[in-house]
Parts: sequence; C-alpha cells; structure tokens
Amino acid sequence: MLNFSTEQAIVELGDIRLGGQPGQLPTVLFGTAFFGKKYASPDAAALEEIREFIRAQEALSGMTGNPAIVDIYLGDCESIPGRLELVLEELPKNRFISVDVPESDVRRKVIEYAGQVGISHRIILNSLNLAAESGELDALREHPPGCAILLGYNPKDFSVDGRIDMLETGAGYLEKGLLELSQELGIKNVLLDMGATPFEHSAAETLRAIPVMKNKWGRPVGCAIHNTVESWLWMKQYRKDHKSEYLACDAGSNALPVMLGADFCVYGPIRNSGTVFPFVAMVDKFMAEGAEDYFGITQDDNHPRRKLG
Amino acid sequence: MMYPWRGEFTLGSQDSQIAIDTLSSKMDFPPELVAIWGQHKTENLGIEKIVANVVSNPNIRYLFLCGEEVRGHRSGQSLMSLHANGIDGNGRIIGANGAVPYIENIGSEAIARFREQVELICMIGETHLPAIVKRIHEIAAARKPPIGEPLIMEFAERRTSERMKSLSGKISFHKDLLVDPYLDVEVMEAEKC
Repeated sequence: MLNFSTEQAIVELGDIRLGGQPGQLPTVLFGTAFFGKKYASPDAAALEEIREFIRAQEALSGMTGNPAIVDIYLGDCESIPGRLELVLEELPKNRFISVDVPESDVRRKVIEYAGQVGISHRIILNSLNLAAESGELDALREHPPGCAILLGYNPKDFSVDGRIDMLETGAGYLEKGLLELSQELGIKNVLLDMGATPFEHSAAETLRAIPVMKNKWGRPVGCAIHNTVESWLWMKQYRKDHKSEYLACDAGSNALPVMLGADFCVYGPIRNSGTVFPFVAMVDKFMAEGAEDYFGITQDDNHPRRKLG
Repeated sequence: MMYPWRGEFTLGSQDSQIAIDTLSSKMDFPPELVAIWGQHKTENLGIEKIVANVVSNPNIRYLFLCGEEVRGHRSGQSLMSLHANGIDGNGRIIGANGAVPYIENIGSEAIARFREQVELICMIGETHLPAIVKRIHEIAAARKPPIGEPLIMEFAERRTSERMKSLSGKISFHKDLLVDPYLDVEVMEAEKC
C-alpha cells in the first residue's frame, strides 16, 4: 500500500524480526500481562489465568505468523522476580520480554534485577521516556537492555513535530534526545513509540507520526493506539452495556497504525489476543498484497499472507 | 460556565464545598453532600482537568482524595504533590512519583488559585463508603466562605500547524512527508539500486 524511499532497518530480537518496508514482515503484537486490580496481588488462580493468556497468545502467534511479545506490567518492586520468572517459564529460551514500568525508580530496579540474573539481553524496556531519572540512567548504563522503546510523548506539544522533538532533542525536558541518549547508554536496538494521546489531545497526530518518523529515521515504529479508545469518554459509558462492540473498536484501532506503516502494536490486555491477532493478521494480508502488487516486496512462509490462505 | 473541562465525573449540589477524587475506584456519593466527584487516572492530563474544574467553582473548598491509588501513575500522590509544592520551571510537579507528572495546559494562575482554594483531605486507600461519608459530614460542618469569582480556564485548543494542501497530485501527510500516489515503480526501483 505504501513504501518509503528511505532504507528501512530490520531489527532482530531473538526469534523475532520487525521493521522493513510496510507489508514485508508481519506486525509484532505486544500483549500486556498483570495489568488490572485482579493481578495486583494475584492468587494461584489469577496466576494460572496469566499463564493461559500467554499460551493463548503464543498459539495465536503460531497460527497467524504475527510475532508475539509478552509485555509485563510492573507497578512495584516486590512483584519483579515473580512476574518475570512466570513469564520466562512460558516462553522459548531466546524470546524477548517487554517490561512496562511507569515509575522511574521501579524501572531502575527491574534493570538491575535483569542484570543480576543475566537476562538483560532479552529485555525490551517499555519505555525510555522524558521521566527517566539519574538512578535509572545509571542502571541502564551498567546493564543495557537488549532493546528499548523510545516514547515520543511530549506533554508540551502533541503535534508530530513535538513528538519528533522528544526523540531528537529531548524537547527541553532532557539534555539530549532519546535516540542519542539510548545510543550513549549502549542500547543496541530501539523501537519508536509515537506516544498515543486521547481524543481532543491530538490523537490523530499519533497516527500521522507513524509514516513521518518511519520515513525520517528508517527504524521500526508503532504505538499503543488502544489507549485512545480506552480513554474515549463516550465509549466509557457505552461499553458498560456493549462489551463486544467496545472490544471490536479496541481491536480495530490497531488497523490504523498498521495501515500507515507501523511495525508493532502494543494492543493492551493480553486477554484480548483472541480478537486482536486475527484482526491484525487480516490487515497484514492487505498490506502484504499491496506491497507485492506495486512494489515487488514478497513475504516468507511465516507471514499471515502465506499462513492464512 | 462551571466545570468547563470534560471528564468522567458526576455532579451533585452546586452549593456543596466538597469535591471528591476517587482515583481508580468507582464510587457514588449522596448528591446533596458533594459538588462533583469522579475517577482520576492520569498524573498529567487528569490532574489538569481537576484543577481547571475546581477553580471554576469557588464554592469548592475541600478536595477529598480517596479510593485506591492508581498504580504506576500515582495520580493521587501526584495531585497531593502539586498542591503542596507546585511545579518547577519545566512543568514537572515537584515531588511527584507518577510516571509522567507534567502540567502543561493550565497556567500558573490556575495552579496558585487551586492551591489556595482547596484543602486536601487525604483518604487515599479508603474504599469503605460509610467511612468517607462520615468524614464528609464532619468537613461539611466546618463551612468556609467561597473564594471569590469563578476562574474559567478555557480548554487549550489543539495546536494546529499551518494549513497544508496537496501539491501536484501528491497526498500531504505532514510538511516533511508528501506521498505521490502515481509514482512510477520503475523509477523507484532504479533509485533503490
């Protein structure tokens, strides 16, 4: 459907490849585990449920060809070892895991823990952003993760240019841009996250930033656009009595960045994998056919285009 | 216009001097006792909405924080920090532990007024409704006068760039990205080599 004149890097994270020209590789899907009150202090049943969600995501990934990453929500330091161990037990030995950690101090602890147990090379830090504090940066320098998601969220300016500014210069919040900072910290692989914003807060700029940044830097780009749907005020009321319609919008939102060239989607709670994977696989098939018909880009046998005839 | 910033809130009595932020918990209160209440998820845009709406109603003199804290975002702790410390020159809430605790869409006048206008009643972690209602009754008995005129903060319009138009049959995405839908494939392949 579209093709960029700039060279598009392909990033290899263990057994997963992402990036390249639109339609070339399947969209990588991040499902978040342990998010929600139910999993704040999970009992045995809740932990087993998490395992089932991970297995379901893996099965859908195998069926569709869309690579799956487990994104682990970590709201406090105490939960770090248990959650990481549980997820790693369920995954192949070379699979990367993503750690979704809102607080800088907890991020520091996760980075240190990963270094201590020797799994830094399999960690995707979600995310390196404007709120990184000195302790976190020191830990990153000592134990650089295998990959970091660089967050373009810029509270001062939600336009595409504002988001670019965060990556390029630090937008006045950081001494340097997140791209340069990640390089200095020794992080070898980076993914660019546009930083989804709510409706009436330049939500569309999240999407516009996808082709602009991909064209500008030739690196894998994506976002968590489901957050825009989740924060939609009207939908908050409507979804109370229309759960399946809400889930359709939630999953469907992922079509938008992929159509504009995104390489990955952070799609929200991992329990929604059953809706999201077939949906994104369908969009990938459109993108793949369009890429071959017009740009001569072909896909291998693991692409949804080939697997899901 | 009272409460000019849209949000997920419920309105009660206009005369009440109490507003309630229930953080991540869903709760309902007797409408005759409370002016406005609702959940509050984020440590940046969510706090901006609360401040803008509170300063629009000078009757509100107490802001309760109750319900379960928002994990990661620390929205309650961030709001308390804003009230106690304000923001630094970069818009960061001083002392906030939330993920991205920056205030960018409301001015210093509104923040100063908010800090002066309301007394915070911290019940973070409390989800037992009768305990909160009991405290509301205690606070309501100590009535304070309104703080003056409403301060109306207009919702900041989205920043729009210079208007663009498609040029020579190309599709405009952004000033740095024009797409030519009729680009000759042969030319493109030649460029790649």
